[in-house]
Amino acid sequence: MSRASAITGLVLALIGAAIFATKAFVLGVPLAPSDVKDLWQVSLRVTVRGEGRRGSISILMPRTGDGQTILDEATSSGALDHTSRTTDDGRVGVWTGRFEGLHEIRHRFRVKTVDVTIPLPGRTTARPPEDVERAWARGTVMYPTTAPQIVAALDELSLPGNGDVVGRVRTIFAFVQHEVALVRTAADDAVLALEQREGSREGKERLLVTMLRAAGVPARNARGLVLNEKSAPAERVWTQAWIDGAWVPMSTVDGFFGHRPASLILFGTGEQRVIDATDLRAVAYRYESLREHLQPGEVASVMTPDSGLLRLFSLYRLPLATQAALRHLLLLPIGALVIALFRNVIGLQTFGTFMPILISFALRGMPLAAGLVLVGFVLGVGVLARLALERLRLLLVPRLALLLCLVVLSVTTVAVIGQSTEQNELFKGVLFPMIILTMLVERFTIAIAEEGWKPALTKAGYSVLAIMAVYPLFNSIVIEHLMFSFPELTLVIMGCLVWIGGYMGYRLTDITRFRAILSPQPPEQPS
Amino acid sequence: MIFRQLHDAGVLGINRRNGSYTLKWNKRRFYPLVDDKLQTKRLCREAGLPVPKLLAVAHHHFQLAHLLDQVADRDDFVLKPVHGAMGNGIVVVVGRDGDALVRASGKRMNASEFRYHAAGIISGLYALGGQPDQAMVEERLIVHPLFRDIATNGVPDVRVVVFRGVPVMAMTRLPTADSGGRANLHQGAIGAGIDLVTGRTTYAVRHNRPCSRNPDSNRDVLGVEIPHFETILEIAVRATDRTNLGYVGADLVLDEQRGPVILELNARPGLAIQIANRAGLMPRLDAIERTWQAGRSVEERVALGRDVARSNPPLA
Repeated sequence: MSRASAITGLVLALIGAAIFATKAFVLGVPLAPSDVKDLWQVSLRVTVRGEGRRGSISILMPRTGDGQTILDEATSSGALDHTSRTTDDGRVGVWTGRFEGLHEIRHRFRVKTVDVTIPLPGRTTARPPEDVERAWARGTVMYPTTAPQIVAALDELSLPGNGDVVGRVRTIFAFVQHEVALVRTAADDAVLALEQREGSREGKERLLVTMLRAAGVPARNARGLVLNEKSAPAERVWTQAWIDGAWVPMSTVDGFFGHRPASLILFGTGEQRVIDATDLRAVAYRYESLREHLQPGEVASVMTPDSGLLRLFSLYRLPLATQAALRHLLLLPIGALVIALFRNVIGLQTFGTFMPILISFALRGMPLAAGLVLVGFVLGVGVLARLALERLRLLLVPRLALLLCLVVLSVTTVAVIGQSTEQNELFKGVLFPMIILTMLVERFTIAIAEEGWKPALTKAGYSVLAIMAVYPLFNSIVIEHLMFSFPELTLVIMGCLVWIGGYMGYRLTDITRFRAILSPQPPEQPS
Repeated sequence: MIFRQLHDAGVLGINRRNGSYTLKWNKRRFYPLVDDKLQTKRLCREAGLPVPKLLAVAHHHFQLAHLLDQVADRDDFVLKPVHGAMGNGIVVVVGRDGDALVRASGKRMNASEFRYHAAGIISGLYALGGQPDQAMVEERLIVHPLFRDIATNGVPDVRVVVFRGVPVMAMTRLPTADSGGRANLHQGAIGAGIDLVTGRTTYAVRHNRPCSRNPDSNRDVLGVEIPHFETILEIAVRATDRTNLGYVGADLVLDEQRGPVILELNARPGLAIQIANRAGLMPRLDAIERTWQAGRSVEERVALGRDVARSNPPLA
């Protein structure tokens, strides 16, 4: 290694290491993710367009309560007036003012959730208190308890007697769950859902509330979000029934009864919608969420650290979608380092310099074996097709385009098979990097033609090895946390890369390659 | 440790070849001179060096229809990608059988197959970086009688590594049946090291293992004196002088009629020549660098290369 590259690498690595050490040991940024379950960061962005008149927009906001703790809540809305009121149904934030052109309202909070289980009583005769009955057991426009269809349906169910409230609720629940199909585009209305025996999520949950009320059980709909790591949070509606002094959560769609999964956060109950606007022209909104890997206290220290400089550069202050993207992006340098080691220190050749990284990246979150089988399947189909296409003598670019189509089709097939066998891991393969696979097919076939099956398969084997080496790094929460909390580690990686680039010594594979030179006596080849 | 032994044997590894030789001495902007065989051919012709005669070139797909017409008067010729590497994409035609062409392997090829292959060449299938390429047809060289029994099924060549205008090491690559007629060591051709001083083959390997005979003809490949060897070294040096590249592999073929002919130049010459010679490149390269002076004549430089080789002989 030349002095210059040794020093350059050292300087880069030292700068990175110095920033890292300062942050970790002086400023106290946590080195490893803590073991937290179900702590989420959620943000809502509402974009509103008005035409110069006064208007208002109200947003249902979650409260700390059974099964959820709200932390670090913050809103921003520019020049609008903001008030909030809390009722039994929930907390509503209201923004009023003159809406001219585009306005943006942001609401963000952290939430820690746990599973809530409500123990169900045996026989109960306790009548609900009068105020509960008045508020939650009456018919309304949304819950038409006296509609003839509802009454007739209840008659047919032959409910257990009044003494067995749980039994009555279960019977109605089972009816709505099994007799009314879930069809996304079907009716939101309770009576229509009953008549057509199919309803939307909203329709089924409304029907459940209506029938419960008609049977004398106080009930209401609950609204909130379902959180999951793979996609943006979605609004959810479920049902609460008043049984022996407690609101018991249940959903005929998501299939829970007596407990609320930790993935749900509750915004409010009743007929209030999540977002409501008056005198506004257009409203658009979007929720984003990110699972946290730090304790709430640690999050505070990286969100608003004591050091002003650190605050300026903390990635934790970025919008959630950007954070999610950067968490992935910052892993790539590690993959690149592994590939550099593979090729220049070990000396194993792979198909395409960075192809193994991209494949590992695409396989993130998928079991490695299933991912490799998927790649193998697509590659196999591609290579067979490529060999068949050989006879047609097509020109290069149309031929590659054809292969791309085939790769897309085979991935689609895998997705369909995955869906029908409920192998959701396979389904994720849809996001696979098609272009890379297409080039892989082409390179692989050319390697077969030019060098023969054995060298081509050897090279494919080394590629798989590289994929397997990079994969655990890309799937490690610890490494993800380190690279995201300490992006300066990229400088350390760059330093290592300068060193590898300046390494003029032998590769490991040079040993086998040049062994013939070292063997003392040239043995005669049998002829 | 084995790294130590390799180092003591003066073996040049691939990292050092790239870092200290090709990246250092071969400026990227001069690469096209050797990667583009038409440019290499022009360069050599201008210097009065012998090259295979160019018969036809197709730059675009539409020119393919007439490619065969341009060689209608010949029975044998070679189709090559202009930017090819390692002998990929080359079709050697040795004769005609009615309308069909007879390939070196004996297989027949009709005109449309020939055009399809040339179209693949133009699309960049065999080009170094996969970029669009051109197809060229040139005269077929006839193997010198000396090589006829030690090289089988193909045309052998002589590779000379030239460092800063001084020949460093040489070998001859002898095709065999299982190399498919290609002078490619990793496909099973024999690599035989040549003593720069005597011009005789000293040692040979096949599939990375020592060998002394051609497995097809059972003829001894060691101790063979390469004809016109001094001329070969001089032509290699003169050709590389024109390229502004400091570390080059020159490939020459010994034609029956014309003697040594330059086939191509390579800016990233492989390292297997060390195995074929049972000698490391490093001590020779170091010696040349230590004693290098500007303004030496071609003859002086060939003599220097021989001196360096004499004082850094193959391993016992």
